[in-house]
Amino acid sequence: MSEQPVMVFQDVTKVYPLPAGDVTALDGVSFQVDRGEFISIMGPSGSGKSTLLNLMGCLDIPTTGDIFISGTRIGDMSDIELTNLRRDRIGFIFQYFNLFPLLNIIENVTFPMMLKSQKAVDPEKGKEVLRSVQLDDSLFTHTPTELSGGQQQRVAIARALINNPDILLCDEPTGNLDSKTGAGIMDLMTELNRNGTTIIMVTHDPHIAEYSRRTTRIADGRIVL
Amino acid sequence: MIFWEIAKRNIRINVLRSSLAMLGIVIGVVAIASMGILGNSLVASVSDSLSSVGDSVIVTPYSGGGGRGFGSASSSANLKITEQNFQQIKRVAAPNVAIPIYQTAEHMKIGVGSDDIVAVIYGLPSDDVPDLLNLKEGVYNNGNSGCLIGPTFAKDHNLIVGSRISIGTNGDKGTLRVTGIIEERGMSFDISTDSALVVTKEWFENTYNRDADYDEVVVKVKDGDTASMKIAIEKQLNKRKDMKIVNVMDSKATLATIYSTFGMVTTFVTAIGGISMVVAGVSIFNVMMMSVTERIKEIGIMRSIGTQKKEVMSMFIYEAAIIGVIGSTIGGVMSIMAGYAISALILNTTKHLFTIANALSVAEGMGFGIVICLACGFYPAWRAANLNPIEALRHE
Ligand SMILES: Nc1ncnc2c1ncn2[C@@H]1O[C@H](COP(=O)(O)OP(=O)(O)O)[C@@H](O)[C@H]1O
Ligand SMILES: [Mg+2]
Repeated sequence: MSEQPVMVFQDVTKVYPLPAGDVTALDGVSFQVDRGEFISIMGPSGSGKSTLLNLMGCLDIPTTGDIFISGTRIGDMSDIELTNLRRDRIGFIFQYFNLFPLLNIIENVTFPMMLKSQKAVDPEKGKEVLRSVQLDDSLFTHTPTELSGGQQQRVAIARALINNPDILLCDEPTGNLDSKTGAGIMDLMTELNRNGTTIIMVTHDPHIAEYSRRTTRIADGRIVL
Repeated sequence: MIFWEIAKRNIRINVLRSSLAMLGIVIGVVAIASMGILGNSLVASVSDSLSSVGDSVIVTPYSGGGGRGFGSASSSANLKITEQNFQQIKRVAAPNVAIPIYQTAEHMKIGVGSDDIVAVIYGLPSDDVPDLLNLKEGVYNNGNSGCLIGPTFAKDHNLIVGSRISIGTNGDKGTLRVTGIIEERGMSFDISTDSALVVTKEWFENTYNRDADYDEVVVKVKDGDTASMKIAIEKQLNKRKDMKIVNVMDSKATLATIYSTFGMVTTFVTAIGGISMVVAGVSIFNVMMMSVTERIKEIGIMRSIGTQKKEVMSMFIYEAAIIGVIGSTIGGVMSIMAGYAISALILNTTKHLFTIANALSVAEGMGFGIVICLACGFYPAWRAANLNPIEALRHE
């Protein structure tokens, strides 16, 4: 099991059919992510980064080629199966934190766990993870808007981790933070990775990319080395 | 679980908007339920005043058209039921009693110098009176110059047992003494005595120079099978289709027709109430669409971290259901109050309020309210669930 790659892309192509002509957003992309890696993906605007992240996050399926998440091929999965895969195997971290404004911090963090168990979750589970991302106990019952950007992103990371995903997908995780707070988040991610979490991060900031152990560049829908 | 909680909180956060949508439902439920209550109470109060009619068949002279109207108007033409026809009816009716009835409208005065009034006078055989009428005061009248009066007539003109009434424009038809006051009978198909006088057959025949040419014959049907009695009488008297002699009215069947007419009226006004519910439905739809549109991004986040379509859908259905249940409950309570007010104002009584029919009307209004909310919440919820997660996530 631990020998198996977390993610495999085999000759993946993504074409968006448009009236004015098809747009090939990804063109024959192949790569592999092993357990415990910390990869950053860089590339100019329009190069296909978001498309790639959507495919890795099982939000979309490829036009041609195969994608395997922990050995499972996602090409012909139903929407229900893909949704369960996102819930159980993937943790998402967004540029704008994307917490639920109607839920407090603990509820935000335990949300994916409630989806999985289909019942109420012991708040202690959420508190445990929140402490592991170094969020102060006094904030646990606040709502997201009462927290600073850096604190919100820590909550988002805790939410992404709560179901023990195989992989953490980050889309410009520091893009909306000042550099000092961003560095704090990157230190946390580095520590998580050191403890075994596999991370893939899209960024355009070379300083942020330096935190990762491997950088992949993409241009015009192709991986360039 | 969590989606129920989110739905509740979203309603609380948008309390004004949600209350307005609820208000629509409240109005819709009140409109439907109170119309239903009004209709039911109307039927109940009518059946109350008709209950003393009992099972009777009323035979009147054939008047060509569709028979007589409700409440028995005196046949203006000289259409009468002859003694021979009466004997035929009597034979068919036996062992039930057939009561021949005279009827006219007459001027009269009560006391010296009082105003001239006009009232209906019925003449029927003394022996038959107890079969048809009950007294609340006094005794049945056997003498020729005695009469019975209806309770409304007695009250309106301050009459008691022993009072005297001078009959005719100038008292030219003699004086009648009140021997008894009849119990209230309400509206009825045979004779309406509440505001009338009842005299003996002999007095009527002598005074008006009548001889066995009756205005109406009432058959009291003991076993309740008025339909068969009606058929039997018609068969006997209206042998020739082109020369009918009598109209025969079955009180029970007529009552049934009246009830079904009331039923239709109730259904119709309830349907009008239903229109306000449709309007309420439109506002629920609007609120739900708003709720979905302003949360597209949130839906995208939910879907991307593993929320199933049906879970997104349930969240919005819960929201519509909460609005529906709260609105309908308030509406249910208010429609009972509205029903109370309407009954008290229009029917002057609230004794028909707490009935099964009214409970059903309220339940119907509430059920319709909840169903409308769910139906109008369904499409917005479906839209939310089927948003493309990638586009929803990008939404700002
Ligand atoms: N939903 C879509 N429909 C049509 N074309 C799209 C869609 N998403 C992306 N594209 C196109 O695919 C290419 C890659 O876009 P994207 O993956 O968003 O690049 P990046 O995130 O690196 O800026 C662009 O040319 C973009 O216009
Ligand atoms: Mg992009």
